[in-house]
Amino acid sequence: MELDTGEGEARAHVAPVRLYLGVFGALLALTLATVAVSYVHLGAFNLAIAAVIATAKASLVVLYFMHLKWDVRFHAVVLLGALLLLGFFLAYTLNDTTYRSEIQPEAGARYDPRTGEWAAGLPEGAGRRVSPVSR
Amino acid sequence: MTATEAGSETREEHGPRWLRHHFDSPRQQLDTAKLGMWLFLAQEVLFFGGLFVAYGVNRSWYPEAFSAGSQLLDRSFGTANTVALLTSSLTVALAVRSIQLGRRRLTTVMLALTILLACVFMVNKYFEYAHKFHVGYLPGAHFAPTELPAGMTSVPYETSTFFSVYFMATGVHGLHVLVGIGVLTWLLVKNVRGAFDARYFWPVDIAALYWHLVDLIWIYLFPLFYLID
Repeated sequence: MELDTGEGEARAHVAPVRLYLGVFGALLALTLATVAVSYVHLGAFNLAIAAVIATAKASLVVLYFMHLKWDVRFHAVVLLGALLLLGFFLAYTLNDTTYRSEIQPEAGARYDPRTGEWAAGLPEGAGRRVSPVSR
Repeated sequence: MTATEAGSETREEHGPRWLRHHFDSPRQQLDTAKLGMWLFLAQEVLFFGGLFVAYGVNRSWYPEAFSAGSQLLDRSFGTANTVALLTSSLTVALAVRSIQLGRRRLTTVMLALTILLACVFMVNKYFEYAHKFHVGYLPGAHFAPTELPAGMTSVPYETSTFFSVYFMATGVHGLHVLVGIGVLTWLLVKNVRGAFDARYFWPVDIAALYWHLVDLIWIYLFPLFYLID
């Protein structure tokens, strides 16, 4: 329902309570799903599924609770723009940190893929295992 | 427009008391405020973005440590807090809806419920952090576990890095929850005093946008930290 009382008045979109409750139910169901699927061992797919479910939940919150579905389009551009920049940030950084050891093992690499040895310059204890200590 | 014409507009002619003098109409003031909040939320996405990138880099470097670290977290705390925040998102959305319809009392109830759920989140967080401190699950060089879950005899050294990222991300998120409690309490007090109605509903609307973002961040933090394989 659009509450638009006249020229110059604030725009308000009022969604029905049933819609809010439906979205809330879907959010709870997706939370249950993401917890359940984390007990199934699927290797790298676990992270992908968790990311997809989280994004589905986030979309529901943004579109319905935050009214972006009915809002000024430019607000969606602002949000998606920020997400795009975050994507660049993540992609370029990971591209560096994941593959730098293949080019220059001594430049902060975890280990040298050619020898399998831990690289120099890592904090003391890197690559070791920690057992419980008593207090 | 000449200076005389501009100056001839009196306060009474301009509109309701809450309409700032530099806005022509309530619509313009709301649209401006809303755009401002969305720009702030974009900034928040980038602000938390740094932490998500730190997470991505370290998890790609130390997958074993992140898996081990995740097993040292308590899923029941994480799940309970997820439900608390999702529910608070619903109640704050209903608070906006009720003030849009001019139902001030219902708005008060919904805002109070939202604040209550936010406090439930923080109390949970307190007990969760207290336990982590107690058993030595601390960030960086302070990581010195005094106990591990049954079946685990040791964890990778880099689990300390997992806890660095964990405490930084959940800590900064927790600060956002505290700020949210402050803002929502301020709105609750103003609403009880009758500041808002169907025409001037949108301070609640704008604050709710912030509160939903706090929920959005948690929607990602929860599976990334608590639910690794």
